[in-house]
Amino acid sequence: MLQFVLSGIAIGAVYGLIGMALAISFYVTRVINFAQGQIMMIAMMITATTDALGVPTALAVLLGLLAALLTAVLSYYIAVKPVLAFNRFSFGWLVSTLGFAVIVENAAAFAWGPTSRPFPQLLNGISLHFGGAVLTGQQCLSIVVALLLAGLFELVRRTTLFGKLGVAMAADPEMASAIGANTSLLAVASFAISGLFAGIGGILIGPNTFANPYLGHTYGIFGFIAMMIGGGTERPVAAMWGGLLLGILGEGANTLIDSQASDWFPFVLLAIILVVTPRGLFAGSLGWSRLVAALRPAGQA
Amino acid sequence: MSGKAGSMPRSFGLSRARLARLGRVPLILLVVAYLIGTWGIAQADLNVQSLVLVAAVFGMLAISLDLVAGMLGLYSLGQGGFFGIGAYVTAIAATTFGINPFLLLPIVIVVSGAAGVIIGAMSLRVSGLYFAITTFVFTLVLTVLATDLQITGGTQGLLGPSFPDLPDSLAWIGTPVVWCILLALLVVVGLVWSLRRSPLYPVLLAIRDAEPFAEAAGVRTARLKIGLFGISAAIAGAAGWLFSFLGVVSPGQFDWSVSLNILVMVLVGGINTTLGPLIGALFVSMFPAIVNINPWIQEIIYGALSICAITLFPEGVVGLVMRRLRGLSPTEEMTTQNEAAAAPASRVPAAAAGAPADAIAVECRAITFGYASGPTVLRGVDLAVRRGHIHGLIGPNGSGKSTLANVIAGRLHPQTGQTLVKGQAVDGISPSGRARLGLRRTFQAAQLVRELTTSQNVSVGLYTGIPALLRRAPVWPFLPSARRDMRQVSRQSDEAMRAVGAAAWTERHIADVPHGIEQLTQLAAVCVAAPDIIILDEPATGLSVREVDHLTGILSDLKRQGVTMIIIEHQTRFLLPLCDQVTVLNAGEVIITATADEIRAHPVVRRVYLGDS
Repeated sequence: MLQFVLSGIAIGAVYGLIGMALAISFYVTRVINFAQGQIMMIAMMITATTDALGVPTALAVLLGLLAALLTAVLSYYIAVKPVLAFNRFSFGWLVSTLGFAVIVENAAAFAWGPTSRPFPQLLNGISLHFGGAVLTGQQCLSIVVALLLAGLFELVRRTTLFGKLGVAMAADPEMASAIGANTSLLAVASFAISGLFAGIGGILIGPNTFANPYLGHTYGIFGFIAMMIGGGTERPVAAMWGGLLLGILGEGANTLIDSQASDWFPFVLLAIILVVTPRGLFAGSLGWSRLVAALRPAGQA
Repeated sequence: MSGKAGSMPRSFGLSRARLARLGRVPLILLVVAYLIGTWGIAQADLNVQSLVLVAAVFGMLAISLDLVAGMLGLYSLGQGGFFGIGAYVTAIAATTFGINPFLLLPIVIVVSGAAGVIIGAMSLRVSGLYFAITTFVFTLVLTVLATDLQITGGTQGLLGPSFPDLPDSLAWIGTPVVWCILLALLVVVGLVWSLRRSPLYPVLLAIRDAEPFAEAAGVRTARLKIGLFGISAAIAGAAGWLFSFLGVVSPGQFDWSVSLNILVMVLVGGINTTLGPLIGALFVSMFPAIVNINPWIQEIIYGALSICAITLFPEGVVGLVMRRLRGLSPTEEMTTQNEAAAAPASRVPAAAAGAPADAIAVECRAITFGYASGPTVLRGVDLAVRRGHIHGLIGPNGSGKSTLANVIAGRLHPQTGQTLVKGQAVDGISPSGRARLGLRRTFQAAQLVRELTTSQNVSVGLYTGIPALLRRAPVWPFLPSARRDMRQVSRQSDEAMRAVGAAAWTERHIADVPHGIEQLTQLAAVCVAAPDIIILDEPATGLSVREVDHLTGILSDLKRQGVTMIIIEHQTRFLLPLCDQVTVLNAGEVIITATADEIRAHPVVRRVYLGDS
């Protein structure tokens, strides 16, 4: 029981990071970037390749994250900005971001070949015991990093001018632009941050999955489910809670139903949740976020 | 019954004669050419056939998507799912249970259509993007189920049924499945083509672009959306039925990327056009067969092309061509606005009077309303509008005038209080239901379809007056009765435009007309339905002095015909002379209801609103 909850939280943290990556760029531009999973994959491929070339692992990880960030920014300029410039309410981005995902995935498969490559082990060799359960150091790292990033993001969103500009732009870009916000810089920044989140998710899961050009597809979908279950379209941090829930329930289904259950279980779960509450489970305020609100400096209400 | 049957052949004969007379010859030639082409393909070798047939199946899917995405703005990512339902139901029932495939077609249509209605009813609770997301999730779930269930054969899939052979005497027509698929495509194209030529088309675009306007014209928008989505799903299911004859049915053929590819087809070809989705389907499905290179590079090119198409030609191939053609034809001169200032025509269609002169047309009793957050907007508002009166509603900004209009029209539901229209309590009745009671309204910010002409926008107002419109729309151009009705619709619309003094603008698109004409178009769309009661929300805002004078003439005319009007307006100099009664609102409360003269003299009104000068 404890084992699947803990390993569920660890994998859920990664789903949550990708879910948040989707949610952060959606939050500002109202676009779901279908290439988010592929952006995660780029981080993994670059890290694996540079590490194999003898670059120090820490530097390889940084290069991977940088590559993810740049790919995300590129996706904004190629697939999002021109579409929104034509009509902010059109759904052309459904096609263009998917087109970008297709290009990135197949370019990676063409460049690196379709087989998996070894990924640096990072903290995977360490075992930590919690009661009767065992987690690898990498799993613990996933949990800690994901929660830190989620908390940090929420803090920035609520307390800094930058975060509030994001709120303003999500509500009405023209108005935000009229009061002097640099909306296109803000949009680029949101894509860069989302690329970073996805990249970090990739680095955290890499030692277990190895690096493969087709991983982006699977994790992109799970990230999407995390966002939708949580209600990340309204509050990005809710995607993290959705991811954790998805991870725990998925691992639970594997343990309690059968070992293949996590292939279908998340999808059925998502369908049920969307029927019951279309906005997602955590779209409203959680106790945790009220705590943040209480901590924020007075006078910024 | 017998009389009806007797009249049938005669009306068909008439229709054929008219077809010829109206110069439908090119259309008939086109259909004949299509049939000859089909015959040719039915004789061709298997490679050509499978290429064409797959393209045709995707053409049906693209049209099914354009039906909802183009006309209603519902970007469904569920088409792959409905397609899969059709194919799997056919494959399982035919191969596992040995049921005749032709018996399965109606079953498939009903099952996938019902799935569409359920998904539509569920996801239209939350609109826009959530519709795309819910349909996307639907496709995801179906793909996962198809992969993991026993009965669907897992990732390997199932072998579809083989198409029944023809008797030997008919062998000359060639491969039967070719005829079946290409005729099905012809039927679907014909259906969409007819829909675009029916009076339902402007109504659908009004639901897409100006839903409150459609509702105010008596259109039950939610029902129509769900119904049309059901039809779209049924077409996708039928495409799946056809597809199952082409070989193996496996999960990869129906997953979410297929749904997105169908959207690519529609957007690349040209959304909301009859031919666009077909061109897109042809391009997307034939692309891999024609560009025969390294599959990864091929995918990269495909991705790049779809991005280019969306960013460089957002209107698609057909949109681009049409724009070119329009660019070649000489642009019309903008006519001056003299026409709008011409004297109003004598006859504005309106309801017959009949009820006692002092009956109450609209009554509000103790209406209290507040938005979810913020202060109460209306506090215990009482209002009684007598039949045949013009009742003015004035007050400072934020006093609750438009909110009260929305409560009367049914767009907002008061927390307490009662609304009566013509003596009938209407509290549970939707805006479209109230419109059907003879209560019409205009909006402060004109809600119209920019890509339609003013006259077509006005025709939306006639929606409730066209008998059996929904049933006839799919075959509209082929029905003689429908052609007669169509002429009447456009005549009535033009007449209404003339009656409001904007006859010169009937062929103009809303996107190209000045603000004053938009206001007059709204008014015409209301008048064309000959309502008993009209609510006008700031009709004079943004009009020139001359246009305001003109409007005064129209409204006096309507009053003479016994129409009851509630007018919200800030220009008291225009409004007060027209009114029998005026109600002044301030901060959500009624200050006074009285005649115009009493209002002018009232000290509180002078202080809070008119200005004490």
